[in-house]
Amino acid sequence: MSALTPFFQWCDDTIISQAIRNSRVAFPIIENFHLFALTVLLGSLVVLCLRQFGLIYKAQPISEVARALRPWNLWGLAVMLVSGILLFLSEAMKCFGNTSFRVKMLFLFAALLFQFTVYSRIVKNEGASAPVGGKIAAGVALCLWFGVGLAGRAIGFLG
Amino acid sequence: MSILSMCQWLQDTDIGTSIRESIWVFPIIEGTHVLALSISVGLLMVSDLRLMGYIMKRRPVSEVYEQIKPWMFTGFAIMTITGIFLFWCQAVKAYNSIFFKTKIVLLVVAALNAIAFERGIYRKVGQWDNALVPPTEARVAGWASLILWAAIITCGRTMAYTF
Repeated sequence: MSALTPFFQWCDDTIISQAIRNSRVAFPIIENFHLFALTVLLGSLVVLCLRQFGLIYKAQPISEVARALRPWNLWGLAVMLVSGILLFLSEAMKCFGNTSFRVKMLFLFAALLFQFTVYSRIVKNEGASAPVGGKIAAGVALCLWFGVGLAGRAIGFLG
Repeated sequence: MSILSMCQWLQDTDIGTSIRESIWVFPIIEGTHVLALSISVGLLMVSDLRLMGYIMKRRPVSEVYEQIKPWMFTGFAIMTITGIFLFWCQAVKAYNSIFFKTKIVLLVVAALNAIAFERGIYRKVGQWDNALVPPTEARVAGWASLILWAAIITCGRTMAYTF
């Protein structure tokens, strides 16, 4: 990991990082938006997964539920990433040595990769009910995204 | 016995002390409280957005709302239980926090808003179930709900900074 040290140091030193650190309210405000976005991102995912498991909205094809939720999911993700990057910049060196942060990044890359290569294509083609593969994909997406959230919360607790 | 001394007594109970001093139990309860936001407020958001006329407009309002309701209530039950334990182990700090007091007031207002909606315009949902954009009273209830919950999340997160 030591090859990455200069990059983390650079992140830690940007004007934005310093501005956030020097402000008493910037970090809490950004983190609040990070939490709102978590609610929207994970909330829309939970609804779609419940639909794939056949527990709600059975009168609507899965692809239709996915299309209705998609903009909310993507906006949630966008706010999540922007606020997350800002939070990271303000304490990049602290994150560097933080195991939970590394675990979170692994989950995040896996979740993004899975969502945009596999999951979003699967739900686009599902109709009245999801095949076993689709239900498994829903479970995997849930585990990956909740893994991101759990590891993220652990950054502050465990180190 | 004042409220403050009741709070002191509560956090000094065996349960309060052991949660506060544990290495794992507190983070697990707190983490559950945060992640269950997705099941409680996250699902509520979808039905609020339908009331506001922004999502699943071709589906009846009652369908969008009623089917999500049991899951949403499960989420709020998890929030309530974990929230009670979080309060239990740090009751005095919570009592002294303006953000906690504001959060409780807002929770009551959000509950009243939900009751007013259920007993008011939602009784006549048969008349507007298929409306792409529901009547003003329903839209206001949806907006009020989302704004209140955003404020509740803000108070909850901010109070932890002051502890």
